[in-house]
Amino acid sequence: MIAENTQTQMRKGILEYCILSIISRDETYASDIIAELKKAQLLVVEGTLYPLLTRLKNNGLLTYNWVESTSGPPRKYYALSDEGRKVLEQLDKTWQELAFAVQTATGKKK
Amino acid sequence: MAGISLRCANRHRKKEIIAIPKKNHIMNKTIIININGTVFHIEEDAYEILKNYMTDVKRHFMNSADSHEITTDIENRIAEMFSEILAGGERQVIVEQDVKSIVEQMGSVQDFENAENGEDGPAQYAYNNSGSRTLFRDPDDHLLGGVCSGLANYFGVRAIWLRLAFVISIAFFATGIFLYIILWIVVPKAITRADRMAMKGEKLNLQGFKNSFEEEMTAVRNQFNNMQTEARPLVYKFRDFVSEFIYHLGIFFKGAGRILIKVLGVLILLACLGAAIALVVALATLTIWVNPHSHMFPFSVMTFEYANRLYIAGFFVAFIPVLFIFLLILKAIFNTGGIDKNVGSVIFIAWLFAVGVVIFYGTKVATNFRDEASFNQTVDLIKPSKNTYYLKLNDVKYFTHDDSLRLEIKSQFKDMVITNGNTYNDFQGNNMSLHIEKGDVAQPVLIETYKAKGRDYEDALINARRTKYIFSQQDTIFMFDRYLQRQDNAPWRDQEIELTLKVPVNTIVVIDNDMGDFMRDGVDLYQCRELNKKPDMPNAPFIMTENGLTCKVDTLVTPTVDTTKIIKKK
Repeated sequence: MIAENTQTQMRKGILEYCILSIISRDETYASDIIAELKKAQLLVVEGTLYPLLTRLKNNGLLTYNWVESTSGPPRKYYALSDEGRKVLEQLDKTWQELAFAVQTATGKKK
Repeated sequence: MAGISLRCANRHRKKEIIAIPKKNHIMNKTIIININGTVFHIEEDAYEILKNYMTDVKRHFMNSADSHEITTDIENRIAEMFSEILAGGERQVIVEQDVKSIVEQMGSVQDFENAENGEDGPAQYAYNNSGSRTLFRDPDDHLLGGVCSGLANYFGVRAIWLRLAFVISIAFFATGIFLYIILWIVVPKAITRADRMAMKGEKLNLQGFKNSFEEEMTAVRNQFNNMQTEARPLVYKFRDFVSEFIYHLGIFFKGAGRILIKVLGVLILLACLGAAIALVVALATLTIWVNPHSHMFPFSVMTFEYANRLYIAGFFVAFIPVLFIFLLILKAIFNTGGIDKNVGSVIFIAWLFAVGVVIFYGTKVATNFRDEASFNQTVDLIKPSKNTYYLKLNDVKYFTHDDSLRLEIKSQFKDMVITNGNTYNDFQGNNMSLHIEKGDVAQPVLIETYKAKGRDYEDALINARRTKYIFSQQDTIFMFDRYLQRQDNAPWRDQEIELTLKVPVNTIVVIDNDMGDFMRDGVDLYQCRELNKKPDMPNAPFIMTENGLTCKVDTLVTPTVDTTKIIKKK
């Protein structure tokens, strides 16, 4: 139970960071984000992504454009806003620190 | 950005349901759905799963500020996945498997919850483990629609108390029934596991209770708004409600209702039995024991010859349906008895025949009342010695020879027997009435108007003639008989007598209390006694004025005449 909780907490923090990173490369459609996250085994089900994207957008980190699609309804293509870029930079920095911390901490065990 | 508002406006999912048989070897109902502007054909089973899933998803995000946007995104994504499935061109219809795999890909509400656990985001979700409960109808524990058990779950009490409350409230103008039906329509049924979990919730603290109550009120309000804005879904909702209602009614009758029905059935059986016995007794009484010349209504209406035929036919008209209901209920409840088809049709024909006989003789009796006739007879009275008249009711009752025999009053009496008292007479109804008018001669005049009905005018007149009314005068005392008598064997034909007594102006008329029921033209003895402040008087004084009869208010004691002083006059 405790392990589960910690796992969720860890995943959650990383998830947002990863989403922002994926979007930072190019204008991205939700299912592309999902594909990448699935590959990275960070996300299992699609449904959880939509609330996250909406929240990030509402917090001003993301913008989106409607793009007509050949198959089905128009798609939302997400991109980082200026603020999103700043946040991502901070997160990048934090991640480096964390990675170092984890490496150091787990390295000692060996 | 203009696109957003456009998409949002399109957001309402409208579902049109059209049955299209598929041309495959298996016939399957197909439904056409419209997801944000794109139309798909989907099989019914698949549609049910999709609908439940979307309902769950919408509920899950209901309390999030972005619920609109999130669910639209998910719907759009599902639409896109449908398009991809159908893009191959092999199939034209979404099947159950497609929806299942899409739901798997999207993740269940449970998955969403797991992902959100411990999150401190701005969004508040209804189904996290805050212990709040949601109002649902409970499909697992229900007598009718599960409204009571749903409420019980919500408030954390036993369902029995709420059911009891509903049943009791029915006594108060059936408010409970209306409330129940409204709740049945408005409150959603707990379909999925998530619903049921939310319904049963953890223990509530006061704050949580308040919050979730407000949420529920919003949800219920939304339901109402939807009902107003979308007429078609309301129609569907009502249709669902009706079918569900009938379904539950069936279950109710199978279960608890079954005992109730049996009890009711036994009661009806007993009632039938009672009715049958009563009918047999009535028939026997009428045909064997009742004197055919009875003066009692309604038997007095009929002439003797066909009375018995009418009674017997009437008996069958009433008895056969009673028997039929008896056997039918016996068959329905205890699965015994029942009527053979041939026997049944014979009985039915017998019943029709009996009805025919009743109608035939009924109309025959009725034709005897078709016309009406009356004649007047003026009796000049002897001028009384005084200016004060006393109006009395003659309590002497004349019995016919037959009546006196039957009542064993005097077996050997030839013509009539006379008795005092008025108990027996009540059978005949009041057929005498008295008007008192201003006369233009110095002596009193009595006009007797005899009335009766008959087949035709002549018959009516004969019926009116075959009567006897006895009025007697002893100086100032006028004795009125209580009844218009029918002569022997004359059937009852609504015979009546209307008496008009004309008295000179300034005559004082003292009317006995017994006469009160027979007085017409608004002569009120009670009121007059009250005016004289002597409510216990045995009679009331009136005086004839130019404007008619009025109460004579007098301080003097009204002279009374003792009946014993009546001198017999020729």
